[in-house]
Amino acid sequence: MNSEQTPLLSGRQLERRFGGLLAVSELDIDLYPGEILGLIGPNGAGKSTTFNLLSGFYPPTGGELYVMGERCTGKSPTKISRKGLVRTFQHGSLMPSMSVRDNILLGTMHQLSGRRRIERIARTEETAEMLGLSAFLEEVAGVLPHGLQRLVSIGIAFASRPKILCLDEPLTGLNHTEASSALHVFERIRGEFGCSILLVEHNMKAVMKICDRMVVLHHGKPIAAGRAEDIQSNEEVISIYLGRLDDE
Amino acid sequence: MANYQIPSWVIFSIFAVLASQYFSGSHSASILNSIAIAALLAGSLRFVMLIGELNFAIAAFVGIGAYSAGVATTMLDISFFLAILTSGVAASLISMVFGSITLRSGGPYFLLIGFAFTEAMRIVYSKTDVLGQTSGMVGIFPPIEFDDWLSLFVIIICLGLLFLMYVIEKSQFGTIFKSIRDNSDVTRTVGINVLYWKVVCFAIASFCAGIAGALQAFVNNVISPGDFGYLLAVFALAYVKVGGESSIAGSILGAIFLVVLSEFALALGAGEHIFYGAAIVIAVLFMREGIVGLVSSTISWITKTRASKEERV
Repeated sequence: MNSEQTPLLSGRQLERRFGGLLAVSELDIDLYPGEILGLIGPNGAGKSTTFNLLSGFYPPTGGELYVMGERCTGKSPTKISRKGLVRTFQHGSLMPSMSVRDNILLGTMHQLSGRRRIERIARTEETAEMLGLSAFLEEVAGVLPHGLQRLVSIGIAFASRPKILCLDEPLTGLNHTEASSALHVFERIRGEFGCSILLVEHNMKAVMKICDRMVVLHHGKPIAAGRAEDIQSNEEVISIYLGRLDDE
Repeated sequence: MANYQIPSWVIFSIFAVLASQYFSGSHSASILNSIAIAALLAGSLRFVMLIGELNFAIAAFVGIGAYSAGVATTMLDISFFLAILTSGVAASLISMVFGSITLRSGGPYFLLIGFAFTEAMRIVYSKTDVLGQTSGMVGIFPPIEFDDWLSLFVIIICLGLLFLMYVIEKSQFGTIFKSIRDNSDVTRTVGINVLYWKVVCFAIASFCAGIAGALQAFVNNVISPGDFGYLLAVFALAYVKVGGESSIAGSILGAIFLVVLSEFALALGAGEHIFYGAAIVIAVLFMREGIVGLVSSTISWITKTRASKEERV
């Protein structure tokens, strides 16, 4: 969709080597405004490496990265985040010893820096409300149940009101109700705030349901890209990955 | 601004100030000075612990503060207050350069670099002619009018700086520091420049350490390189751990407890350090939250038993 628009995020022939191991190569990826893009692939396909490349945690060993139309190849995570790309992590994506309030507040700190304390507090509360965390603001984040911790980590990232939100397996370990309410939150983030989302997720039903387009990685290379329906019927994808859908 | 509750240690500190007037004898005054300076050192070390780093370079910055005060007073005839301020600023500026290079690393690496820096600075003092080489500097006196007031002044400055650190910790800057300790990757991804804030935290702590060094110089009138070895950092860590790391009150209580203990232990001569060792072992094994944790769990135990008694009645 929107292929005539300029992409917010684009990777061109991105490559990352670790010594002799080629973790990701020949990766072309584009994220358009208002889009939810799924990045899928079996374990070890290079999804996390891709995330680290796009968010600046790993500098690419080849190719180019553009965020909001600007060349960001080799820029630090902080610089890329200030362009409007914020990510979550698969594990421990929050500050465990701090309250939920302080966790979310941290997300507002850079974007609302200077003498804007009141705005930061309002933004924190608005974010908590949206994620259904208002009742837990004063709790210590590290002792909350897993599902709530996942929401807090999304809250931290979303509190900075990014233009691109990269979520690394946000549904892992959530039960059915929690997962569907999280999907609802993603829809709201996109719908009400016009934020584009890049989603890495193992829960195939959820990915199929929410993503406009998908990129399938295998052995570090993209083997298919396109709309969910097309991916579902792609022979190669079915053989390496989606075959698992029937088992689930 | 946030609602800063007046912490119990502020009330307690006012007693300390009054006590400094009551115990005007020179020996008790010197103990009070030592406690105040020790508490400030502990507060400074703990402040860097907010970003999750153990700052063994603190001893170097105390030394830089003390020698700055020495040079300012004995050679440059700079006034007392300005000399103290200069010490803090000098320590803070040097710490910014040191921190912006070394805080890129962390954990054991940062600790070791701090240790090496402390030892290197100690060698610099003992090899430099103007700093009196190994015999150090003498004659660092406060103005004569301060003779009766020095103790009060030292306590007020130390408490003032501890209060400053408390306010910063409770502010949103404190939130940034603690988030760096908890999860620096997440902090980075929301656009916060982690290195910058680490250096800010480090520079504030080093300012306090520098002032502590200057106060120590004016209290003892004499400084020598041996005063600023890594043991100073170990003592500061002992104050923090024995008192309880969770609050600044812990740093103050730890300083009081261990300084008073060492007064009693002085009779043992060189064996005094065994008390620090024992106190740390006891604190680590039996009271992980330090004296502060012990006090608060006792209070909650008393209120609980009282409540259950009232229920029975």
